[in-house]
Amino acid sequence: MSIKGSVVVAMAVGVLAVPAGAQQSITVASWGGAYQDAQRKAWFEPAAKDLGITIKEDTTSGIADVRAQVKSGTVTWDLVQQGTNGCILLEREGNLEKLDPAVVKTDGVPADMKSDYWVANLVYSTVLAWNTKTYKDKKPKGWADMYNFKDFPGGRSMRRSPMYNLEAALIADGVDPQKLYPLDVDRAFKKMRELKPHIVSWWPSGAASAQLINDGEIDMIGLWNGRVQAVMKEGAAADLTFNQQIILADCWAIPKGAPNKAMAMKAMAHMMTPQAQARLPLYINYGPANAKAYDTGTITPEMAKGLPSSPENLKNSFTLDVKWWADNLDAVTKRFDQFIQE
Amino acid sequence: MTVSRSAPTVTIREVTKTYGRFRALDAVSLDIAAGEFVTLLGPSGSGKTTLLMVLAGFVRPDSGSIRFGETEMVLEPPHRRDIGIVFQNYALFPHMTVAGNVGYPLRLRRVGKSEIARRVEEALALVQLQGYGERRVDQLSGGQKQRVALARAIVFEPRILLMDEPLSALDKKLREQMQIEIRQLHERLGITTVYVTHDQREALTMSDRIAVIDQGRFAQIDTPDRLYERPANRFVADFVGESHFLPVTVADGSARLGDRILRLADGVRPPSGAALLVVRPEKLDLAEGAGEGLNRIEGTVEGSVYQGESFLLQVRTSDGNRIAMRQPTRRAALRRLPQPGEPVALALHPDDTILVAAEPAP
Amino acid sequence: MSDGAGANAAALARAERREAQGLFLLCSPAVLLIAFVIFLPIGWLFTLSFTDEQGAFTLGHYARMLHPAYTRSFQTTLELSFLVTGICCLLGYPLAYLMSQVSKGWRAVIFVCVLFPFWTSLLVRTYAWLVLLQRRGMVNTWLQDVGLIDAPLRLVHNFTGTAIGMTQIMLPFMVLPLYAAMTSVDRDFVKAAASLGASPVKSFWQVFFPLTLPGLLAGVVLVFVLCLGFYVTPAVLGGGRVLMWSMSIERSVAVYSDWGAASALGVVLLVVTLGILWLMNRLFGVGRAIGGR
Repeated sequence: MSIKGSVVVAMAVGVLAVPAGAQQSITVASWGGAYQDAQRKAWFEPAAKDLGITIKEDTTSGIADVRAQVKSGTVTWDLVQQGTNGCILLEREGNLEKLDPAVVKTDGVPADMKSDYWVANLVYSTVLAWNTKTYKDKKPKGWADMYNFKDFPGGRSMRRSPMYNLEAALIADGVDPQKLYPLDVDRAFKKMRELKPHIVSWWPSGAASAQLINDGEIDMIGLWNGRVQAVMKEGAAADLTFNQQIILADCWAIPKGAPNKAMAMKAMAHMMTPQAQARLPLYINYGPANAKAYDTGTITPEMAKGLPSSPENLKNSFTLDVKWWADNLDAVTKRFDQFIQE
Repeated sequence: MTVSRSAPTVTIREVTKTYGRFRALDAVSLDIAAGEFVTLLGPSGSGKTTLLMVLAGFVRPDSGSIRFGETEMVLEPPHRRDIGIVFQNYALFPHMTVAGNVGYPLRLRRVGKSEIARRVEEALALVQLQGYGERRVDQLSGGQKQRVALARAIVFEPRILLMDEPLSALDKKLREQMQIEIRQLHERLGITTVYVTHDQREALTMSDRIAVIDQGRFAQIDTPDRLYERPANRFVADFVGESHFLPVTVADGSARLGDRILRLADGVRPPSGAALLVVRPEKLDLAEGAGEGLNRIEGTVEGSVYQGESFLLQVRTSDGNRIAMRQPTRRAALRRLPQPGEPVALALHPDDTILVAAEPAP
Repeated sequence: MSDGAGANAAALARAERREAQGLFLLCSPAVLLIAFVIFLPIGWLFTLSFTDEQGAFTLGHYARMLHPAYTRSFQTTLELSFLVTGICCLLGYPLAYLMSQVSKGWRAVIFVCVLFPFWTSLLVRTYAWLVLLQRRGMVNTWLQDVGLIDAPLRLVHNFTGTAIGMTQIMLPFMVLPLYAAMTSVDRDFVKAAASLGASPVKSFWQVFFPLTLPGLLAGVVLVFVLCLGFYVTPAVLGGGRVLMWSMSIERSVAVYSDWGAASALGVVLLVVTLGILWLMNRLFGVGRAIGGR
């Protein structure tokens, strides 16, 4: 067969193939791993089935990926998962598509977890956890106890980042958790000087924080709820309190110029329904962002106890102000890096 | 430059060194006179280098005594023995200049700077390398390196000089030239010297005495000429020079080769029993006429090899043994050179008629 | 000369040329690979470091490095690299010396011990140190059981732990060139020195040591340069306190998603590394030490 002939045949096949493959597809990028596995089972597969579309998956390592795609004009992702701080930055840079309020209903999501351009889809938190062998029946009640070295002596650990650290320091110094922002940076750093000598390790990654509490290397730690719950499940001598938990969220956004943005919004709306939101905790230790999920009956009271966004746990919590952090992250991180190296 | 301290005698007594089951040295004893040049000659693995290393202190013997003069040295570490050593591969320090190398033993002895400079230059002059002090070692030729090594080994006026096959890496011409130079240097300095080599010609050229060593024992210790002319046993006769052996029987002081009685040098009375006649090619001549007073060996020429300065005739004796005979390539000698296949009669002077015991040295 | 010989010469020259071309063709994949894998990314890195988010020229990424957070990190990087290199010298030299002296069997045993780190994952080894050194780790438990200490020592999550972990990982890079240098030193040099009157100590320092110096310098350069860019071990064993330059780079990417800042940090690391190599080469002729004479 000549080359010309084969091209003609290929073209013919292509033309014929279009109607057969007419089923629309969208590409979703998330964090990968167990996280994305849970999302697939709770959200992607039901959405694909109900909407009659194909959902292709990819992974992202942060907002730089989205920036690069938008900048180069070759956007391949229709829907992307980011941390809320990432969503805010991307929104400010003009790298996101505006969401159609008629399609994406976000009424169950708290106001500080959404904007016209993105919406939080799952909730986790930074909690206070401790070694139950060290403190026996004494239970720390909040961030003030992390700074209470008399009643709770022992090694401490916090994230190697100013985030959570400044909030914890200010609460320990007597600031009302509901009136933290804008953060009094100087006051926070002054308070943190008390904590610094007791810090065994500034944990650099979630895995490291889990290991520190699991091995009993520290006695009290601020870390992500999912991490400590995982080691508790494995039998580590640890406990946590959701009191004064710092609520954090991840979010959905649509990159500017996404090829299938209309269908992406439909898929997003599907995944934000209370029913879909309620399915997520069945697969992973994250809370739904849509509060109405707790009314569906899918989440048992027992499960709700371990979820940061359950109504009970939400009572004594506060949400990290990602907007404040987006404005101050660079300067405060430099100061923090200097502080921990001193 | 002269050796100011009087050269000591070296006394080696019953030195034994074993490696597992292997006896590298088997109770060897040797007396070296003050200022004497003694060569340890032997094939590789004979123990000559081991003995040198024992003298230097790098190998600790299992038993035995080493004395320099009256002083027992066997327990002294190498750096307190005051011995100059010239190594086979020169062992010049590559990170020092020529002067640095030669001056090193003087620096170790805390000699003053100007004194070091003077003595280094003197030592270099002695080995004909004046003005080479600032050269790097890797800029020198093999012969120059050997001279620097020699200068370094003598500059500090050691009590004894040891040389471990120092010329083996040099080509033949240079080697022969260095042999003469080392010998002359020895005569000027009068330093007690022990020289190791496997090259019998080198040993014969240089030494006052040669100690032939085989399997950890001395086979013979003698002056070069006596060693060559009167080898004490088959090993020495074989190792030093070129020899063929013909079986003889000795009874009542007379030796019989085939049906002939051999004429021996005056006063030689060999012990009875089986013996070997040592036949060196250059000691044979073509027999002319009756050959009055000479021993006669008959045979057939099997071949001849041209070797430049001589022809080597291979001869099979009438009783079937192979011997060889050297004939100079002088015109006069060439005219009567027998051709292969021809019968030939060879003559051996009684003084060159040497017998050794039939058994190889134990 | 006949015509035939002339024609022959031309043919020979052609054959020579063809061979040279063939050789060049054989090299070209490697040349291309190096161009694409090394020079292109470095050029890109360089460009990024002078570019702001809008794509305009800026020196801002370099200016920010004057902040104490960065200068301190730079200082830490140098301090740790010097310390680890120094300890590697002190531990590696006797170890390599031992290896060059013992019998074949023992040499093999030591070799395996030294090379073992090469055969296991860096992360695994680093976590193994964490397990050994942490508060309830084997070392502290043992020291307490023996009664040498009352309270656990802080051996990890700090500078000490990082130095310990990095030293173990870097040791082979010190020992191997040293061992190679030592085995290439003729035993006769040491004997010669002794015969000339040098005590064992003097013959070591004046003869053996200078002759192994090229190996030592090769090891120093290898270890130091590797230390400068080290990430995993300080990140895991440093307890967040030991902020290496490489971690500053990672932070710029992961926290700020700022490739420009990260690139500028990378350029500085590259320049410093090349500067140190250049300096070492000027001072000691390391190029000769690594590449032979």
